[in-house]
Amino acid sequence: MEKAINRQRVLLEHLRPTSSVSSHSSQTHESSLSASICLAGGSAAYHRAAAFGDDVVIVAAYRTAICKAKRGGFKDTLPDDLLAPVLKAVIEKTNLNPSEVGDIVVGTVLAPGSQRATECRMAAFYAGFPETVPLRTVNRQCSSGLQAVADVAAHIKAGFYEIGIGAGLESMTVNQIGSTRQVNPKVQIFEQARDCLLPMGITSENVAQRYGVTRQEQDQAAVESHRRAAAATASGKFKDEIIPVSTKIVEPGTGVEKPVIISVDDGIRPNTNIADLAKLKPAFKKDGTSTAGNSSQVSDGAAAVLLMKRSLAMQKGLPILGVFRSFAAVGVDPAVMGVGPAVAIPAAVKSAGLELDDIDLFEINEAFASQFVYCQKKLELDPEKVNVNGGAMAFGHPLGATGARCVATLLHEMKRRGKDCRFGVISMCIGSGMGAAAVFERGDCVDELCNARVVQSNNLLSKDVQ
Amino acid sequence: MPVFKTPFNGYAVKFSPFYESRLAVATSQNFGILGNGRVHVLDFPPTPSTPIAEIASFDTADGVYDVTWSESHDSLLVAAVADGSVKLFDLSLPPSSNPVRSLHEHTREVHSVDYNPTRRDSFISSSWDDTVKLWTLDRPTSVRTFKEHAYCVYSAVWNPRHADVFASASGDCTVRIWDVREPGSTMILPAHEFEILSCDWNKYDDCGIVTASVDKSIKVWDVRSFRVPAAVLNGHGYAVRKVKFSPHRQNLIASCSYDMTVCLWDYMLEDALVGRYDHHSEFAVGVDMSVLVEGLLASTGWDELVYVWQHGTDPRAP
Repeated sequence: MEKAINRQRVLLEHLRPTSSVSSHSSQTHESSLSASICLAGGSAAYHRAAAFGDDVVIVAAYRTAICKAKRGGFKDTLPDDLLAPVLKAVIEKTNLNPSEVGDIVVGTVLAPGSQRATECRMAAFYAGFPETVPLRTVNRQCSSGLQAVADVAAHIKAGFYEIGIGAGLESMTVNQIGSTRQVNPKVQIFEQARDCLLPMGITSENVAQRYGVTRQEQDQAAVESHRRAAAATASGKFKDEIIPVSTKIVEPGTGVEKPVIISVDDGIRPNTNIADLAKLKPAFKKDGTSTAGNSSQVSDGAAAVLLMKRSLAMQKGLPILGVFRSFAAVGVDPAVMGVGPAVAIPAAVKSAGLELDDIDLFEINEAFASQFVYCQKKLELDPEKVNVNGGAMAFGHPLGATGARCVATLLHEMKRRGKDCRFGVISMCIGSGMGAAAVFERGDCVDELCNARVVQSNNLLSKDVQ
Repeated sequence: MPVFKTPFNGYAVKFSPFYESRLAVATSQNFGILGNGRVHVLDFPPTPSTPIAEIASFDTADGVYDVTWSESHDSLLVAAVADGSVKLFDLSLPPSSNPVRSLHEHTREVHSVDYNPTRRDSFISSSWDDTVKLWTLDRPTSVRTFKEHAYCVYSAVWNPRHADVFASASGDCTVRIWDVREPGSTMILPAHEFEILSCDWNKYDDCGIVTASVDKSIKVWDVRSFRVPAAVLNGHGYAVRKVKFSPHRQNLIASCSYDMTVCLWDYMLEDALVGRYDHHSEFAVGVDMSVLVEGLLASTGWDELVYVWQHGTDPRAP
């Protein structure tokens, strides 16, 4: 109460102007300390940017189950019916008004461009989007889904819009990998252009041969992929990210249509073992090492990722699943296109201001065991951090969807792992000789407040030495 | 522009230096004499018709007298609390993790906080315990205490040009200029005959300073010739509680007073009072001018209302 009386007295003095100079002896408090900038740099390799609300964050990421093409759960499902459920899910799960979405970008590979763009636009209508929401497709081959997410992130950062959806779609039942019909005779002069026409399986053999990846290493990787995917499915881990799709299946022979709900990946073979895989014949080359067992499966699937500015997500009270930190696409020799991740991952990690050691989890697409094993060895990654829930050898690689699928898988796994798992990387190789990678961060991590600044150039040598 | 009603009595307003539509408000229960405090973070929409949205609020166990935004992190706020503590709040963290820091060193009410705008690594707090303290984000204790004033220090403000220089205004009727590299104050300005409640630096003239006093006047000074004020602005009917130089125009000053008005002054003009707003129905104690939008003003007062308006328009206009 004394405090309140004192406060009242101070404030009353303001209204009763009388001189209030008290005759306290003013003691000079001397101190030798003064403020200065610490040049030592922080312990964290990464400092959060000044404008925190500007971060592009992921608030929802979902996928369909991934099913074997022509034989699996989606063999009688049209591509647009595959995309619509995931587009609808990201809106429904976040209670977002669909008219607020600034753009939808869909990664899709095999289908003819314009036809697929139309189908995707139709899918947006099935999913309940109004006509005012635009949509486009993007094709960066196997990383199209990741490219779609990166495009949306970049556009949000550029201020084109504040909310966007990056998605991926592929029905390898409907569209098959075909060979280029007409080849320009010029390719005989340009060796690397010619190599672009190599079937992917042959590039895989090239990687195995050039970098010495043995058949056994490859089979072992395939077994591990199936084992991890089966364990993840059995423990219900994928239930967080898979959106059940109600569709139909036509029974072969009788032609009877049966309504079904597909909510489980059907490519995983839990009983895969080395002995069985060793019996398989090489699929692409007589004396080769890539087989149907240690290559990615041909599949159908779709995925969608909802991105927005952090400030907006906080305003709407949406949970922040992850922050989009960086993206890099690189080129490599088309003859060994599978080495893409080995080049793309360091590039993306560097541009995020991080080092490889800072990354807690990797999703590297298993196009072929040869290239997957090579990239993991080349970057000296801890196998316990890579594809912890299996990869494309186990549940398949629906080309355009894979990138967006990985975002859902990675971010839900990071969420399960808690704060110890702060940074994650997604990467894949790209046909015709490229690689792409992106770095994601948990949404709820912030660096300790610190004044230390990173010393940009720390050249301790004298100028004469340069 | 819309109005925001706070549950407690308003004490201070600050525009975010990062977002043009963001505002922090410091409030205290029971006029700051007894009870709790709360910091509100508001987003006012670009279109005047939609209401102001509160994006966060932080409760404290005693009144909050002042608030300042970090110049280095867009989500960080520093609050001056009447229980003698300085608290840091991080908008990016959930309420359970806030405050991220509670710095308790002042022995009486903390009345002002100011974040260093040039070096962006430190802030100062001034208190009724007659001291000013210098803090950095990474230290749990103050870097230094400046103790020369003989009565409450109502405000301490960094010089916008010199990263080490600040001014403090006190109830001992002086303004002191400090350089943190020096052991003591570098200048004592006996600016008024009565208590000085507020001061601010000219944003375009690193020697210009304005002071506001219980004697109802505002004085503009050049610290190089401190015997005579460069201008004396009379017009408030009661003690002038807060005074601010415009971030956009060299001669423009905003002030608020116990006479319940917010005034704008051009101290170079013969007729210096260029605007008077009497929208508050109790003491007007907090005023700020937006750095990002020229002419945008915000004020709060003991009538528990926060106004945001463009200079020249009626704050109460819907």
